[in-house]
Amino acid sequence: MSAPSVHVTGIGLALPGVTRAADLLRAAPGADAVSPAERIGRKGLRYKDRATQLALAAARDALREARLITEESETCALGASTAVVASSNLGNLDTVCRTAAEIAEQSVDGISPMGLPNASSNVVASSVAIRFALRGPNLMLCNGVTSGLDALRWGASLIASGRAARTVVIGVETRNEVTDALTGHAGPDVLDGAVAVVLERAVDARERGVVPLAELGAYTRGGSVAECVAALLPDDTGADVWFTPQGFDAELPVPATRGLARHDLSRNIGHASGALGVAQCAAAVGGFAGNDLGVALLTNGDDGSDAVAGLVLRAVRDAA
Amino acid sequence: MSVLVTGAGAMASIGSGVDEVFDALCEGRSGLAELRGFDRERYRARHAYEIDDRPEPGADEPYRATRWLLRVVEEAARQAGIDRDLRDVPVLVGTGLRELRSAELGWRDGADFSVDRLHFGTALRERFGTVQSYTFSNACSASLHALALGADMLHAGEADHVIVAGVDTLTESMHGLLDRVHMEPPRQVQPFDRDRKGVLMGEGAAAVVLRRESADETGTSLGRLRAVSVNCDAHHVTAPDAAGITEAVRSAHDQAGVKPVDIDLVMLHGTGTLLNDETEATAISAAFGSDADVPLMTALKSMTGHTSGGSGLLSLIVALRAMATGRVPATVGLREPVPEADRFRFVRDEALHAPGLTLAQVDAFGFGGVNTVAIVERTDA
Repeated sequence: MSAPSVHVTGIGLALPGVTRAADLLRAAPGADAVSPAERIGRKGLRYKDRATQLALAAARDALREARLITEESETCALGASTAVVASSNLGNLDTVCRTAAEIAEQSVDGISPMGLPNASSNVVASSVAIRFALRGPNLMLCNGVTSGLDALRWGASLIASGRAARTVVIGVETRNEVTDALTGHAGPDVLDGAVAVVLERAVDARERGVVPLAELGAYTRGGSVAECVAALLPDDTGADVWFTPQGFDAELPVPATRGLARHDLSRNIGHASGALGVAQCAAAVGGFAGNDLGVALLTNGDDGSDAVAGLVLRAVRDAA
Repeated sequence: MSVLVTGAGAMASIGSGVDEVFDALCEGRSGLAELRGFDRERYRARHAYEIDDRPEPGADEPYRATRWLLRVVEEAARQAGIDRDLRDVPVLVGTGLRELRSAELGWRDGADFSVDRLHFGTALRERFGTVQSYTFSNACSASLHALALGADMLHAGEADHVIVAGVDTLTESMHGLLDRVHMEPPRQVQPFDRDRKGVLMGEGAAAVVLRRESADETGTSLGRLRAVSVNCDAHHVTAPDAAGITEAVRSAHDQAGVKPVDIDLVMLHGTGTLLNDETEATAISAAFGSDADVPLMTALKSMTGHTSGGSGLLSLIVALRAMATGRVPATVGLREPVPEADRFRFVRDEALHAPGLTLAQVDAFGFGGVNTVAIVERTDA
């Protein structure tokens, strides 16, 4: 079985201070927080945790760009064959930890029953499905620092296996006193935002007349940065830009990356954990649009994490 | 190409290891007990089905789920004969609540906890050298989601073996929020009974090794995975939808190339909540039509509690054991079924001797309307 070609056909950002993918590489952390209610209206946001609200705002814009929903209707006409894969590590930590603390302080009678959906970590993925009527497989990746790229991988795999024709992939993280305490990262250098990407079988996108923004290439997980990069770029000429893992040493020599421009996107959007890979995808697409870049290598995780995930993304130049 | 199950591992409140768990289920033993690790005075619902391995009564510790996961993966790998080197074997973990219990203990009580252990990849890399690991947090059907994706990896030729696992521990937030929404606190889980009061959580873990079946198959296996369907209701964040579940059942039958009348045994999701059981019964009735009275049916949560993300895979392992041994555990505590299930052939009161079963359906549904249905087949007959 050969995997079908998968295109990116929509991008949605719910990030502080950035509205266009092309601006991601010039962004800086610390801009005003996103207001999901201002972006997509208050309706349907009540009792949703912040990660879910941010994800809904990003997913709405990605689905619109991919022309899967319209300004008039949020119900996706192709929802039966559309999957959702969301990635977040920290999304519902605040609900979980605060509820446990409230029970200890007051007893179970003192907690709000409206917290129940948010105690389940997949609330982000299922809420996106409910809002836009997406009835395909619905996955929640909580896979540590590689989770964003892993989500793109599974989004493409669901298409390759025929379980879905297209996938909305969302990376979202949020910041609050619980995440501050548990991650040891606080302040504006921590992402409070979401990025969504629509992946679609290239033939379907073409039939719908949607302009492809990028094509997904190979994905791998390796035991180290060098191993991951070597598997994806076997020679020295494979890519134009390398989106490095968060905090990666910009000068550290890595075989097969000589002369490759490096970009640590966490400098633009802050510590992004499970959202980083999806944000890297959006940033690369932004770079492709400016015709600056043709091939991007995206990587998450470093030699200290459980693995390093890598994904190749290519511009689609001859599609029109 | 089809997919074989070549190893299994399990643990729950009622035992450790597949044999011990299966024997306990057949004996009708329940893991129900008063809450062991939480301050009972804070709750109305003071019972659960916990694994009794805490250092001392009333005290809790982080990383219990991780410990169980490693144990069941090891058991499954050993049975499959691949335990000597697992570095290149992908491990897909389905979990409802990850290590969120450890996060609760870390944030509230200052217990030693690191966020890079919220998912299980860190521990899997340390123990087995695993590089390809994925933690899917897909509520109460998480392990069957992982099963579907593991089978897809084999079909796509991405691996020769895949380990699929499920694990969950109680969290205070989930136990407490479920307690909060019950009209009266349940004292036990009674799937499909008219007088059921609701769900109580259980702890457990399960793992299987999947292998591509070769043309000149000579090895032994525990069973064959025919299909796993996966869909989403897109209906409600907690309440199930019969239409979505019916579609998941039909899709599993279609993918496996079987008809309802072919199914000998249905391992029901059966959580004992008021809405879930009626909805599952309605959906099964719709999908099976006039054949709804053909298969035997049972629901393990009557003895294990709701083991959340791991429950589907535990049911699948029990289905394989039931077909191999001809013993089907009963739905303990079921006195009078809900009207929606009045045609179902429940195994009641005690385990049933039922030789000749060859095809089983396994249900698992989760919050957010995430539905999965697996079809497994006996291979030793």
